[in-house]
Amino acid sequence: EMEDAEFEDILDDWFIESLKTYKDLHVYQLEHPTQVLEWTSGNSVCVAGYSQSKNEILELRLPLKLLADENKSLCAERDFKVSHGGFTDGPVRCLTHIPGTRCAVTNDGLSSDLQVWDLGGEESDVIRRTGSIKGKRSASERGSRIAARPSSAPQVLHGAQISDVQLTELASGETLYKLETDSADPLSSLQFVSDTVFLAGCCNGSVYVADTRTSAPPQLSHSPSSAESVIWWTDAAAGPHPSSRRVIRVSSSGQAVVSDLRNLGGAGCQAQLDVQTPGRCSQVKVSWAPTLDDCISVSGFSGVVQIYNTRLWGAEPQEARPLFEHRGHAVSSQQTDDSVPTFVTSHIWHPERPRTLLSAASDGSVHVWDWVDPNRQGGSPTP
Amino acid sequence: QHSYSFKSYRCALVCLLPLLKECNSELLSSVLPFQGAGQDVGRSCILVSIGGKNIMLDCGMHMGYNDDRRFPDFSYITQNGRLTDFLDCLIISHFHLDHCGALPYMSEMVGYDGPIYMTHPTKAICPILLEDFRKITVDKKGETNFFTSQMIKDCMKKVIPLNLHQTVQVDDELEIKAYYAGHVLGAAMVHIKVGSESVVYTGDYNMTPDRHLGAAWIDKCRPDILISESTYATTIRDSKRCRERDFLKKVHESIERGGKVLIPVFALGRAQELCILLETFWERMNLKAPIYFSTGLTEKANHYYKLFITWTNQKIRKTFVQRNMFEFKHIKAFDRSYADNPGPMVVFATPGMLHAGQSLQIFKKWAGNEKNMVIMPGYCVQGTIGHKILNGQRKLEMEGRAQNGPLLDVKLQVEYMSFSAHADAKGIMQLIRMAEPRNMLLVHGEAVKMEFLKGKIEQEFSIDCYMPANGETTTVTTNPSVPVDISLNLLKREMALGGPLPDPKKPRTMHGTLIMKENSLKLVSSEQALKELGLNEHQLRFTCHVQLQDPHSDADTLHRIYTHLKSVLKGYTIQHLPDGTVIVESIVIKVSSSAEDSNTKVLLLSWSYQVIIEPLLKKSFLYPAVLANPPLKSDVISSFWVQTLLQFPDSNKHCGITES
Repeated sequence: EMEDAEFEDILDDWFIESLKTYKDLHVYQLEHPTQVLEWTSGNSVCVAGYSQSKNEILELRLPLKLLADENKSLCAERDFKVSHGGFTDGPVRCLTHIPGTRCAVTNDGLSSDLQVWDLGGEESDVIRRTGSIKGKRSASERGSRIAARPSSAPQVLHGAQISDVQLTELASGETLYKLETDSADPLSSLQFVSDTVFLAGCCNGSVYVADTRTSAPPQLSHSPSSAESVIWWTDAAAGPHPSSRRVIRVSSSGQAVVSDLRNLGGAGCQAQLDVQTPGRCSQVKVSWAPTLDDCISVSGFSGVVQIYNTRLWGAEPQEARPLFEHRGHAVSSQQTDDSVPTFVTSHIWHPERPRTLLSAASDGSVHVWDWVDPNRQGGSPTP
Repeated sequence: QHSYSFKSYRCALVCLLPLLKECNSELLSSVLPFQGAGQDVGRSCILVSIGGKNIMLDCGMHMGYNDDRRFPDFSYITQNGRLTDFLDCLIISHFHLDHCGALPYMSEMVGYDGPIYMTHPTKAICPILLEDFRKITVDKKGETNFFTSQMIKDCMKKVIPLNLHQTVQVDDELEIKAYYAGHVLGAAMVHIKVGSESVVYTGDYNMTPDRHLGAAWIDKCRPDILISESTYATTIRDSKRCRERDFLKKVHESIERGGKVLIPVFALGRAQELCILLETFWERMNLKAPIYFSTGLTEKANHYYKLFITWTNQKIRKTFVQRNMFEFKHIKAFDRSYADNPGPMVVFATPGMLHAGQSLQIFKKWAGNEKNMVIMPGYCVQGTIGHKILNGQRKLEMEGRAQNGPLLDVKLQVEYMSFSAHADAKGIMQLIRMAEPRNMLLVHGEAVKMEFLKGKIEQEFSIDCYMPANGETTTVTTNPSVPVDISLNLLKREMALGGPLPDPKKPRTMHGTLIMKENSLKLVSSEQALKELGLNEHQLRFTCHVQLQDPHSDADTLHRIYTHLKSVLKGYTIQHLPDGTVIVESIVIKVSSSAEDSNTKVLLLSWSYQVIIEPLLKKSFLYPAVLANPPLKSDVISSFWVQTLLQFPDSNKHCGITES
């Protein structure tokens, strides 16, 4: 009971501190933890379970109170609305929404096959499986990464390792493009940086950039470090200006390297992130803020989500302090001595609202938070 | 009347729904949500028929209407009869008006004198809310044809209070039991049982404890149907702490800019919760601005909390042992003169919807200053100031002022916060896991948006889930065990017939006559049944005519048939009697010539029921067909004979059959 009281006190403290550090804060508890957080529209997001057998895919509508600009104070609605839901036979490790459609593609992390889903419309709240795409490796230990082509008819780029990467048309199942390389490096990230150019980040830190229109060999940038035991995750900022197209790579030891997408081998800025534990494979997520220049978010090292301003980084890797740290998941999960500490499984930025993020943790919690930039506030943040 | 199977009996009941009480069946439960409790948020009122009993669950009022539509349409139950004759009892789950608002209308205006059940706290608080609402409707809005104060009082006299976990016998067969539902003080779920059948109705409930109430709980009672509210079935609720955080943030912001904060509250429930919250916050933040609560609030609340302390959560119970509910360090009793004091302050005042009294007075004083704030922590009914400002109205007509007088300019900040505690999808799943019902019924939600939840419930628990619309009846077939006494003689006879000894786990067919007398059922031999009922035994004989072409005389034809049968049916008693009949066991065969054509012979066959089935058909290829159609059809028998006769050596192949 003493432990309970102490836990409650710590939680109360954090909530009181949060009055100053967050503009909005919403805390939800899912029945099962999710590793998936994917926007399906400006106000809806998909989550999905990753337990070994049966799981659910849910499409959640964000609370009206969060999204309301006018009359926010008269809106009492602060719950997630489950707008659509469906059942899967296996885990969902990766989910990608196909822009402009009510379609999503998933991967179970056990093979490189993909599942195709109809997210349902106005008349039904049921998400139904409509098909599948055969991957190159049916029984590999590693699942596929998936990227949806931003425009054009529904097409997905997918693969478990760099030599598998292919572009498949959803309607026909036809392979439209294959990446020409012999390397068997496993992928940690895959994303389009324009309608046809994509970036494939490997676990070893090397990054490939290729164009689906040509069969020319991809542009390769080698790993920033030669250390073998570390794993790297990558994210590219796909801003409208070529100068804003930058790539960040974060390693399981907390090393972070930013480079220019047009010159990946060139000198960029770097830092040693303020993380305690080595990142767990497949759980680290790094992401550029869509509307805040130079800001990145990182999670997966522990129970926190950190936001860094890369503008403060230099050419040499120096220790960087996070601009903001969301400790909500760690603080609100009661730990016993022998249990695995709660870790953040995923997070995602709201595409338009500059400081609104969603994050999910291994205890099934999902938080929606609009943080306050401590530098923009009048005083210093509450310690 | 004499030969129905149980299957057809069940079907009959569905059609007879309004007359269920007269049918006295133990085989069916049906649920009819009428007006609001189906997929239409507003007013709860459900009719359940179970084991021949009719129970009404809640008697809510729709707050969105001003006319008769706000009340349930009781003509669903009876067009011209008295409600008392049709309903065995009425149960109210909690004091919210969408669950009890139509109660005086039903009992005093439509007319119902049967028992009304509700928990002690609901019985205490319900009339206060009804009177409040009556005042708003009649005194403020000037409506007529509404229930009166006296009617509320008369209605409450019919109420029988319920204790938690206490089984109450409504009559010899119907019993009810209340369980804790969280939600609001006194809210209950109810378990209704008739014989071996049962239904659980949740009312509104909350599966997560809060600062002043515990979580809903029920034992593994395995009801045939669990009727759950599902207003929030498709939501994932934001945490209570975030709601509180928002509340504190707003109060704090206003105080910091020197504003005054008014929190209109109903005397009970959230008020206590918010006071506890502010007290803690003030202590932690070392805030100095005064917090007040109106005195009426203290007295009433303390009174009820003392009465119903067992209904609150553990923390509050402990607090109450140490001190009075309202002995706060930072919260002090309010005096009306304080409203004019300079500087920031926070005031809790009744009533919650700003329709009268102290909260309205303070509101009028503070409305003109944009630094001030009013926080509405709950729902407001139409026609109240609370409702108007929540709808964004910024200029208000005040009564008591001259017509066309100056409007009240609302400049203060208006905040709406919902602290209502309902079960979300996860909570519903938790409750199903607790109660383990055989069927699930969701009321209050939107059907189109709940297909996924229905699928989820059906998959996870392998039970059926129903979502009836308003006025729609859901019928659930139950499988109660109906005890039947069997006479010893009959059992002995069955034993004598051989076969394995009876296994209690396996069904076994028995032959006998079922006698239903008063409330007992017994199975006896048919002889005994005849004796008991004073009836004579009649024998039923089947006959048929078979035509065949045979030029011989009638006597010769008969003799040929006799010899043929003798050769075909070896081992059977076949007699040729001198009166011109052939008898095979008990089958009688006669031959006559057709009047028109002496070559056409007409065979008359006549047999009784048992004879055919046992010795004669046993080895025939027709035997399985006959067994598969237990009520013997004469055409089956006839065709057997035709088959036999066709093998008759010299007979013409043209045979016709006439049956009788």
